[in-house]
Amino acid sequence: MSEPQGSDGSNSTQRLPVLEKTSDTAADTTGQGQPSSAAYDPLPILGAGEDRNGRFWSARRVPATVLALLLLVGAGAFLYDITAVRADRPAMSWRKSLARQLAERPLDDTWVLVGAGVAVALGAWLLILAATPGLRGVLPMRRTHVDVRAGLHRAAAAMVLRDRAVEVSGVQSVQVRMTRTRADIRAVSHFRELDDVRADLDDVLADAVRGLGLSRPPALSVRVGRPGPKKG
Amino acid sequence: MQRIVNRVLLGLAGLALMVTGGSVLAMGLGGSWPTWWIHDDKKDVLLSNAERTHYRDAGWWWPTVLAVLAVLVLLSLWWLAAVLRRRRLTEVLVDTGDGEGALLRGRAMESAVAGEAARLEGVARAQVTLTGRRTAPEARVQLLLQPHASPGDAVVRLTAEALTNARDSAGLKSLPTEVDLRAVKHRAERVS
Repeated sequence: MSEPQGSDGSNSTQRLPVLEKTSDTAADTTGQGQPSSAAYDPLPILGAGEDRNGRFWSARRVPATVLALLLLVGAGAFLYDITAVRADRPAMSWRKSLARQLAERPLDDTWVLVGAGVAVALGAWLLILAATPGLRGVLPMRRTHVDVRAGLHRAAAAMVLRDRAVEVSGVQSVQVRMTRTRADIRAVSHFRELDDVRADLDDVLADAVRGLGLSRPPALSVRVGRPGPKKG
Repeated sequence: MQRIVNRVLLGLAGLALMVTGGSVLAMGLGGSWPTWWIHDDKKDVLLSNAERTHYRDAGWWWPTVLAVLAVLVLLSLWWLAAVLRRRRLTEVLVDTGDGEGALLRGRAMESAVAGEAARLEGVARAQVTLTGRRTAPEARVQLLLQPHASPGDAVVRLTAEALTNARDSAGLKSLPTEVDLRAVKHRAERVS
């Protein structure tokens, strides 16, 4: 994981040990001076399907369904046909041709190699599916209660930041690009000094990011420009 | 639980595919492989007739093949059913303290919590699903946030009001909850 490197370093969860009584991400709430009782609940224990970053782990329902179906169909077909052959019926043609192909094609046959390549790629993909959390669109939120885990969808987070940025005077339009670790805000300002607008935006957005309540607040990068002749 | 089963089985399938595909690929492109491996060199075939029929005359061969296939079919059937079934709690056991207990319909509790959550400030719509066991229910909440609502505050309010009330009124010690927040799509506008 890359370290967030935005203009607002205080939002980083990986804080250096400074002289503060808190040592956890709860420092973000307490830093605001809000006496939030929720922040003093006992520290959450890791729940099911959660790693150290509090990310949500997908159940991988769709790939599991597909794989189970394929297994069922494949094993069922073999079971049916082998049973039929045991009961003195002729084998189905697909099994005969499969046996023939397997016995005839050498390993350096093009189609065998293509098939092997596809199998390796598919296998790698399944392994990745099995080992990664998935649900990249859901940003884990800071725990406010032991029992409650919340996740904010990236699009929703981007919309909140956009709404706040648009309220800054002088800002004509805003585009927010949200990734898991950073928020890129491009604002177009049609009046006021750009530096003033940028300073206001920095303040407003830093506050807005705190309001998102994320456990790993994204790094902010704010760019302000004048409306160009092309982009309105 | 389901999550772990799915991931382990997906990983095993991926590993099997990678090992067989990788060994065929390596050997077909002219690499060398230990002698005990199923293929000898790149002129070997995937599965020769001799290999396929090697055990055919042994008495245990066909019963074993059929048994393995049958187990595979049953396991995949069970897996498919487990994945497709939406586990939803039909009732919650309320401990009334007199040793008897009462049953609360899951749907009733879901709609009560959802109704309370939807009335919270900044929440446009709420959907609640109860899972887990009836003595230890768990909840999944999906919130749709109104424009200009603060997600952090919405979760705090949900926890403090709707979830706490649900937990207390059903007499539960705890109600582990996963909350999922989305926002109503809207255009950028100034509210002043």
